[in-house]
Amino acid sequence: MGRLNRSHLIEAAIWLVIVAVFYGFSFDFNQPIEIYIFGAAGWPRVVVGLLFIAIMGNLYYQYKNGSDAQSGIIGSSDEGATDFSDRATLFKMLAVLGVPFIFAWLLKPVGIYFSAPFFIAIIMWLFGERRWKAIVIVTAVIYVIFLGLFLVILNAPLPQGNTSPFYDFSAWILTMNTKLQGLW
Amino acid sequence: MIENFLAGSAALFGDPLTIAIFVFGVIGGMLFGAIPGVSMLTLAAILLPFTAGLTATQGVMLFAVIYCTGTYGGAITAILFNIPGSPENAPTSFDGYPMTQQGRSGKAVGAAVLCSAVGGIASALVMMAATEPLAKWAIRNIGPPEIFALVFFGLAVASSVGARTIWKGWMSVLIGLLIATIGQDPVGGINRYNFGIGDLAAGIAFVPAILGFFAVSEIFVQAERKAGGTYKAPKVSMSFPSFLELWMHKIAVLRSILVGFFCGILPGIGATLAAFMSYGEAVRWSKDKDSFGRGNMEGVISSETANNAATGAAMIPLLALGLPGGALTAMMVAVFQMHDLEPGPLVFYNSPDLIWVVFAAMFYANLSILIIGVVETKTILNLLKIPFQFLAPLILMLATIGAYISRGLVLDVMVMFLAGIFGYLLRRSGFSIPGIVLGLILGKIGEQNFAQGMQMVHYDLGTYFSRPICALLIAAGTLTLLASIYRAFAPGKTKA
Repeated sequence: MGRLNRSHLIEAAIWLVIVAVFYGFSFDFNQPIEIYIFGAAGWPRVVVGLLFIAIMGNLYYQYKNGSDAQSGIIGSSDEGATDFSDRATLFKMLAVLGVPFIFAWLLKPVGIYFSAPFFIAIIMWLFGERRWKAIVIVTAVIYVIFLGLFLVILNAPLPQGNTSPFYDFSAWILTMNTKLQGLW
Repeated sequence: MIENFLAGSAALFGDPLTIAIFVFGVIGGMLFGAIPGVSMLTLAAILLPFTAGLTATQGVMLFAVIYCTGTYGGAITAILFNIPGSPENAPTSFDGYPMTQQGRSGKAVGAAVLCSAVGGIASALVMMAATEPLAKWAIRNIGPPEIFALVFFGLAVASSVGARTIWKGWMSVLIGLLIATIGQDPVGGINRYNFGIGDLAAGIAFVPAILGFFAVSEIFVQAERKAGGTYKAPKVSMSFPSFLELWMHKIAVLRSILVGFFCGILPGIGATLAAFMSYGEAVRWSKDKDSFGRGNMEGVISSETANNAATGAAMIPLLALGLPGGALTAMMVAVFQMHDLEPGPLVFYNSPDLIWVVFAAMFYANLSILIIGVVETKTILNLLKIPFQFLAPLILMLATIGAYISRGLVLDVMVMFLAGIFGYLLRRSGFSIPGIVLGLILGKIGEQNFAQGMQMVHYDLGTYFSRPICALLIAAGTLTLLASIYRAFAPGKTKA
């Protein structure tokens, strides 16, 4: 096993699965192109092949040197990762990773105008802010910046949601913006 | 040339509306470049329809000014928060962010201000003096094989920067290349890896991917530190670098101008590769290689000089040949077309006034970086005093909107957050995020030029080596690759 540990093997296994999936799916578009003999699958397969070699090289390196960083490599961060053995820390981190994804998933049905204040407040709370007054004030400030810059000044088309009453709320915001624009 | 430049300057500053547009472009470019989540491309895309109401000269000038100042603006967030405003500022964060953590943010931002201005001004001067001959040289000597070779060299450099080992460096670059294969293939238009999702046929858009990998993953990294109790607020420092400190890096500045200019002149390559290659060359020629990535000011200087030097050079193929080198220059073609003009050799004869107003505006825009940059830096550095729990939701909101408005797809927001999670996990495992992003950006360009090159040389790979520039670039890329592999197997190769 050399200096290999379980996390090295799991990491290599995940990458090998990705390589296998991408190689497997390359048969879906393995069609010849009249003007190019390597076809549509040629380049992706070369990339997949090189990635396989790099995974093996990485595994060999880890077999010899474990997780040590290689000398002469520039710009790599040597900071230690946080210990997630404490469940509370782990759950907090999972929440930070999950909340933005839920927000993105809600954009279509709920729209950004309604969901944004909740998202802003929750992120602040997850980042450790517990003073409710600060959360309310900063949420309002960010929301006003967001509306002012993207709606009033730039008129950017943003997701409005497609379910009631969220869609109606977005429509009300847009109507208010139109009235505001009409003032000048 | 001097007469033309003075005439261009007089036309630029002789009309109040043109002055107002110039000032708007300078400030707008800096602001949009510096706000994580939006970029100079966002501003340009929003402004494009409005340029129909301007004259052709004003429209093209506005975009040229945004290009210059927007490229500088992204350095600020790269240095202060490790969030590059755009990909060309990614190498700036390698040393700029460690400088901030060491309480030297003023010096890093000061170096970025000065070197962006120097690189941009030098590039603008060369552009004024030699646009036509350089464009002719480029069209005779640079073809798809050379562009492919440069992509290879750039990726070889990127693989040795930012990851924990050379293998992870190459894996990072290859992951980026693999992501770039999603969508239609650039030769036959055949759908690849869209997994039944119709919107994926257009591929993974750069903007959400870049926002996810850089901005969102950095938020997650800071969240981890907050959760683990290891978060340290960056120290604010207002001390600028002294003239002597900057003078010590004069060779690096000159080298970066050359690298930036060479990359900028090539269609499709541009400022991002220029910054990476310049950073790589700074490391290669340094006597103290290990100090890079730990707050060496030369890293900031090399990257920022080169990316701004590329902006003037990128105008050469556009104006002299009508070939846009990137997204922003492509939008400039649209501005030309809105006014019934075609960029290319005839523009020099039909609209010399336009050309010289644009040249003069780019010169003054780079000068403005120096003047406004020094003044605004002290204000911008105060951003570091804002607690991160207030900054994080603002950055995430801006990133969400930035990802959405480029194509109007919620899928892009999903892609951004997925890239953020993926980027966070990869950073924990020692992979290089800039490597992935460069692979993603150069993947399609590399494949397209490889395919065109192979068709051109009738699939005889040996012909690549009979073209001097191509052979030189492939040799340089191979040497870079072999040197890093040698380091991987040489004695004393690890650091615990």
